[in-house]
Amino acid sequence: MSLTHLNARGEAHMVDVADKPESRREASASGHIRMRPETLALLAEGGLPKGDVLATARIAGIQAAKRTHELIPLCHALALSKVTVDFRLDEADSRVDVTATCRLNGRTGVEMEALTAVSVACLTLYDMCKAVDKSMEIGAVRLDTKTGGKSGDYHREAFAAQAAPIVTGEGQAGEVSLGNRCDVATPCIRVKCLAELRERLGVGEVAVALDSLERSDVAGLKAALKGLDSRFMGLDEGRVLCAVNQVMASDTTPVTNEDEVAFFPPVTGG
Amino acid sequence: MIRVQEATFDAGAEQQALLAGRTDIGAVVSFTGLVRDFNEHPEVSALTLEHYPGMTESALEAIVADARGRWPLDAVTVIHRVGRLGPGDPIVLVVVASAHRRAAFEACDFIMDYLKTRAPFWKKEHAGDGDYWVSERDSDHSDARRWEA
Repeated sequence: MSLTHLNARGEAHMVDVADKPESRREASASGHIRMRPETLALLAEGGLPKGDVLATARIAGIQAAKRTHELIPLCHALALSKVTVDFRLDEADSRVDVTATCRLNGRTGVEMEALTAVSVACLTLYDMCKAVDKSMEIGAVRLDTKTGGKSGDYHREAFAAQAAPIVTGEGQAGEVSLGNRCDVATPCIRVKCLAELRERLGVGEVAVALDSLERSDVAGLKAALKGLDSRFMGLDEGRVLCAVNQVMASDTTPVTNEDEVAFFPPVTGG
Repeated sequence: MIRVQEATFDAGAEQQALLAGRTDIGAVVSFTGLVRDFNEHPEVSALTLEHYPGMTESALEAIVADARGRWPLDAVTVIHRVGRLGPGDPIVLVVVASAHRRAAFEACDFIMDYLKTRAPFWKKEHAGDGDYWVSERDSDHSDARRWEA
């Protein structure tokens, strides 16, 4: 690994990209600006003296991305095909989260453009709000993802964690669980909630004792689940499908000891 | 041949593999589904495909068996990817070979219609304004019903 902006004598130089093949490049960066809760509230309701803060900061970020080569000495001037700058008001942490995505079909990466867009959007937020709050702090400006080009794709770890395929499991995305085993002595049914239903109910897997069912079918299981935890009331919201031992089932399908019953939303593959 | 995998695939190579050593095949139809950068929300930057391991494979096998019962097919390949995918990435491949073109066209269309309504895959899209689970489409169900008559 070497620094591409240094030549053999260690002097700064611009990398010749004429011979690199064109490819679709995209980079996303993020950062945030922390402020007092009162400042964030003013920003949210549009009560700041300089006017629409987020719209101005968005334009500032987009303009900055286009002019990155004027600011960073060895950056090439790029014809970006897309720049987006987005904001999320995080009231819990009293800050504005800023994300920027840049794209082009070309020969160089666009991560400097995305990072510049985030930085300048944050600086503009500071400028727009400084009349009421001088203690604001800009932080965590960083590259989240970069795709295309010879050096390969990059995903910051939190993003990489999302990349793991989510299969059935307890709670968090990316975790793979082999499922709760039923206790040998007590007959029971293993229940899985998948995809959107798992997130909506906050339940991945649960074992239900067979003798807690008044009727030994899927409807009886649903009733027992609702008795177990009120979150399972959500099984009646929207269209929820069911499979017993991985075969599509209905409310009247019988269930018995060691069965695996999965509840899930309508499928959306392909 | 049915595969559920994280890795990408080469549609051309899969078609060649399916045809290798065969001279009785008169028609091959290949469909590749790709990730679009717009869907329910604009600016989709990625999607994560979740599935139900075990049931996914048996559901795909049942769909292919159904197709083989309806048309005289020489060979079928279905590959569906899971995990995180970006715009332009291939998601699904269906290759169908038969002695005659009509069977190959129709069976490929049928397998995709049934896959979209019966195989346990779920898409979560990551867009500029947040993540969301993709909802089912009525048009997918009406497409699948065409084959029930």
